[in-house]
Amino acid sequence: MRDAEGDDAREGQDSDDRSHDGETGTRTDGGGRSDGTQSVAHGPSRLAGVRHLLFEARAALASPNRNARSAVVLGRLLGLAFVVCFGTGIYSHLLQEPLGWMRFPTRPTQLYQFTQGLHITTGIAIIPLLLAKLNTVMPALVQVPPVRGVLHLFERLSIAVLVSASIIQVTTGLLNTYQWYPWPFPFRQVHNAMAYVIIGSLVIHIAAKLPVIARYWRKRDSYDEQGRFIADPASGSELLPPTREARPASAPQAAVAETAGSTAPGLLGRVFRWIDGVDEVAAQPAADTAEPTRASRSVDERAQGRRQRIARRGFFGGVTAAVVGVVALTAGQSSKLAEPFNVFGARQRGLGANGLPVNRTARAAGVLASATAADWTLTVVGPDVTRTFVRAELVALGTTEVDLPISCVEGWSQMATWKGIRMRDLLGAVQAEPGSHVRVTSLERHGGYRIMDMGPEYAEDPTTLVALELNGSTLDLDHGFPARVIAPGRPGVLQTKWIEKIEVLR
Amino acid sequence: MKAARIVLVVVGVLVIAFGASVLVTSVSPKRIGGLAAWLLGAVILHDAILSPFVVGAGLLLRRAGRSLRAWVLVVVQAAIVLGSVLALVVLPEIAAKRHGQKNPTVLPFDYGTRLLIVEGVLLLVVVAVLVVGVVRARRSVVRGSQTTG
Repeated sequence: MRDAEGDDAREGQDSDDRSHDGETGTRTDGGGRSDGTQSVAHGPSRLAGVRHLLFEARAALASPNRNARSAVVLGRLLGLAFVVCFGTGIYSHLLQEPLGWMRFPTRPTQLYQFTQGLHITTGIAIIPLLLAKLNTVMPALVQVPPVRGVLHLFERLSIAVLVSASIIQVTTGLLNTYQWYPWPFPFRQVHNAMAYVIIGSLVIHIAAKLPVIARYWRKRDSYDEQGRFIADPASGSELLPPTREARPASAPQAAVAETAGSTAPGLLGRVFRWIDGVDEVAAQPAADTAEPTRASRSVDERAQGRRQRIARRGFFGGVTAAVVGVVALTAGQSSKLAEPFNVFGARQRGLGANGLPVNRTARAAGVLASATAADWTLTVVGPDVTRTFVRAELVALGTTEVDLPISCVEGWSQMATWKGIRMRDLLGAVQAEPGSHVRVTSLERHGGYRIMDMGPEYAEDPTTLVALELNGSTLDLDHGFPARVIAPGRPGVLQTKWIEKIEVLR
Repeated sequence: MKAARIVLVVVGVLVIAFGASVLVTSVSPKRIGGLAAWLLGAVILHDAILSPFVVGAGLLLRRAGRSLRAWVLVVVQAAIVLGSVLALVVLPEIAAKRHGQKNPTVLPFDYGTRLLIVEGVLLLVVVAVLVVGVVRARRSVVRGSQTTG
């Protein structure tokens, strides 16, 4: 976070005419200060006040971390994270609302546990990455002029969409893992639609920034041998030092005055003299008045490079600590590896009836009476035959034990041992055709998941059960007693509890 | 590069349009208004509250950076960033739990106490690093005056 004093030194350079200055790597040397006073810009006078304010804001934001290279590095990580969340999110959405022709893999049985755990974990990692990225590009928020033309206006609007949609997406996603919905819109539909808006505006953002991304893609093109950032105006970056853009006439003098530590006007000048230490700056080689010698300049450059490197490493060290910390302390809800560090996870594995967490209780589903009724039967409707089974008749069909995970859309997941009757045996008992779709109905009176459809890939899978037991004892009422569905690779909401009817569709 | 940029913009606009159509077809207009308010609120929250806070914290660190060694500053900064992000993630969790759990397996922990403990540990790290840093700086000053004197 320690800022190179070179930021102030750069203030004094050149006017807004970029084209005449071809050098790129040596802009931060003290020698530039000498021509600071001669630079008189031809900015329009009417907006000078506003522009001056924006310039002062930019000067306050100047930092070795806030450059185009940092933006590219964080942008790559963030872009990757967004794509991971988008892919796993769309997969989860399609599992719940498949198009008619779709079939899904049932192996590995932990596939959905993996994809959804990745979705939530990556989403949580996005929080510090997004903050870091927004922090890095903050000077662009107060760029001068604010709008350069119609295209630039659209670009800034697309960034506004990207930023606000990302913040909303991350916030609602996080609160969804806490099962708290304090907003006036439906979560799942909005989360799904916003995903496309974010990816679309991200693609536009990449298009707009493509020259900057290409210019600063590699580290060796971004820093000189001293480790100083190479400010290249040709890249079109909006995160270059203030001198690289048009400036109001008053700024250079003010900057020079500030670096000299004397009589900079205004509160901001005073604040910065306090922050950067007047004595320290004044004790530097008298670069304002005299051309520095070659030797002192190279010492200066090395010191600057060192300061910039430390600032950057400190910044990325902080970002790494935040990402690792926040992921490690929450991922225990969906990963065995992180289970010992589950300090802030929304779920604790192994906690709950049958040693498994619960999402929807029997009370919430309104099945307390119907699920415990002594005359409960399971009705299986085939194309020609319909049969009803009491619990003992189900057991008589022959039970199987399988290990399958419960993986919730909210991210938590846990492996469990289930015992019950294979779905395909039940379907065989009513002479269902191979490749049949199946509809399962719960005793629940209402709720979006009362009726669940299952494609043949699940119905015929040998691990898909109508489960009666969980982890060695009878299914708890909150886990779906008297019987529930468990199938490989599906979200928890489709593992229907308290079932009363299975229909063969076709 | 120009062709690639044009293609990307067209693709981006199409994907946004698809997202908008998904939104319009799956969410009622009245609730889209609520979403718009939240989207606007997010921009205001970032531009008017979060950014100035971060800038202020950064400037204070920059001021502190004058008298601190680099490694001390880096550790202090990392602890502040981690502590802030954890607070950002866990404070809503505390609020959610206060708002009411659906059942005892949802949000099972005492997140307030846990957050205080973790932030306390981070604070201890910061204090320890600052103390070590200051002591070392003094020692080197003393040593320096001995050799010159």
